[in-house]
Amino acid sequence: MLGMLWWLLVVTAGIIVQSQVPGVDFLAAGFVLALQEERWTKPLWFALAAILIQEGDGSLAFGSGLVWYGALAAMYFFGHYLFEARNFLFMILLGVCQGAMHILLSLTMASLQDWSVLPERLWLEAIVQAVVFPMEWGLLYIIYHNLPLSHARTV
Amino acid sequence: MRTGYLDTLADVTGLEVSRWVLAPGKWAADSAELLFRRYIYFIGLRQENERLSAELKETRSELAGATERAALAGRLSELMSFSPPEGWVREGARVVSHRLGPNAALETIMIDKGSRSGLAVNLPVVLPFGVVGKTLRVSPNAAVVLLVNDLNSRIPVMGQIHRTQGILAGQGPDDPMEVQYVPQGAPLDEGELLITSGLGEVFPKGLPVARVLKVETTGPTLFQNVLAGPLSEIKTAEEVLVLKKPPLPPDAPAVEEEKEARPPLEGKGKRSRPPVFDNKAGQAKPKSGPGGD
Repeated sequence: MLGMLWWLLVVTAGIIVQSQVPGVDFLAAGFVLALQEERWTKPLWFALAAILIQEGDGSLAFGSGLVWYGALAAMYFFGHYLFEARNFLFMILLGVCQGAMHILLSLTMASLQDWSVLPERLWLEAIVQAVVFPMEWGLLYIIYHNLPLSHARTV
Repeated sequence: MRTGYLDTLADVTGLEVSRWVLAPGKWAADSAELLFRRYIYFIGLRQENERLSAELKETRSELAGATERAALAGRLSELMSFSPPEGWVREGARVVSHRLGPNAALETIMIDKGSRSGLAVNLPVVLPFGVVGKTLRVSPNAAVVLLVNDLNSRIPVMGQIHRTQGILAGQGPDDPMEVQYVPQGAPLDEGELLITSGLGEVFPKGLPVARVLKVETTGPTLFQNVLAGPLSEIKTAEEVLVLKKPPLPPDAPAVEEEKEARPPLEGKGKRSRPPVFDNKAGQAKPKSGPGGD
C-alpha cells in the first residue's frame, strides 16, 4: 500500500513539475527507478500510466509516448548488461540518450504528421532533459532508499 | 526631661535614623513595584504584540486573497463583456497549463473544460481583445488549444479597414506572425487590425486576431511581405472563452430546413468534416491537420 502511494506520489509530482518545465519528461526517471527496484508488474503499470499521461497531454499523434518509453526500457535493459544498473554514470548516459531521442522522435513524428516544430527549442529541451534525468533519478533513488517500505523489503 | 532636650535629641536622631532607613526602603519598594508593573505591562505588551502580529499576518493574507479576487473579478468582468457572434455561445474556461510533457511539440495551452461542457475539436478560443487559438484535442474535462502563434496555425483573415484578405500564419512564440498570400498592390496599412474572414468555417467572421506590424513589397514575388503582432500577450492569459454552437432543439424549424437543403451523406453514420485550409496553398480542402482554419 505504501509502495503504491510512493509511486502515485512520483507520478503526481512528475506531472506538476512537467507543467512548469515544458517539453521535458519528469516521469522517465521514476520509470527507470521502478525497473531497477521493483518486480516487473510495477514498472509495467508505471509505464502504462506514463504513456497515457504523455500521450494525452502532448500534441503529437499517438505512438510517440509508446516509442519513447519503449526505447527507454530497451536502452536500460541493453545498458545494464554493460554497466552497473545503479551507477550514476549510466544514468547520465541514459539522460544523454533521452535528449537525443527527444530531438529525433519529435522531428520524426512531426514530419510524419506534416507539422513544423522549432528546432532550437527541441535542442534546448533535449539539453534540459539530459541534465534533469540523472539528477531526478538520483533524488528519487535517495528518497526511495530512505523510505520505510524499502527497509521493510530488505528485512 | 523638663527642658525637652531628650525629646529633641530623639527627634533629631531616632526620627532621622528611621527616615534614612525607611526612605530608601520605600524607594526600593516603589521601584520594585514599578519594575513589577512594567514587567507585567511588557508581558501584556508582548502578548498584545503577538496578537497584533498574528492579526496583521491574517489581514495581509486576506488582503492578498481580496486583491487576487478583485483581479479575478476584473478579468472575468472583461471576459464576460465579450459578446459572441450571432449563432455562437461562449463557454468560459481556466487555463490549467501550457505545453506539458515531451510530446507537446506545438504551442498549446490546456484548459479545464472538455466535451462534458459541449466542447469539440476545432472550436474558436478567444479573449475579449482577440483570438487565442482553436481546440486541438478534447477530453471529457479538459482540452488542448493550439495557439495562433504556433508554426502550424493558419487562420484566414482580412484587414478591418481595407478588407484585404490573407492567411495569418504563426511563426513561433517569439516571432511576429506572417500574413501570407496578400497580393501585390492590395491595400493594407501598418497598424490595421486583422479580423477573421470566416472563410474556413472554424472562426466566425469579424473576430480580431492581430495587428499589422510591417508591410513590404520587396522582391519579385506575387505577394507582399506582411508581418503582424498579437493583440496581447497570449501566454499570460488565465481565463479564456471557447465559442461553440448552441445545441438546437429537436423540433427547430431551422434544422429541418437545413436537413432538406443538405445533400445526403455518403454512408450511414458518416459525418461531414468542415473544410480546413491547406497550409501551403491556402485552399479549402478536407484535412485533419492541427492549424488550418
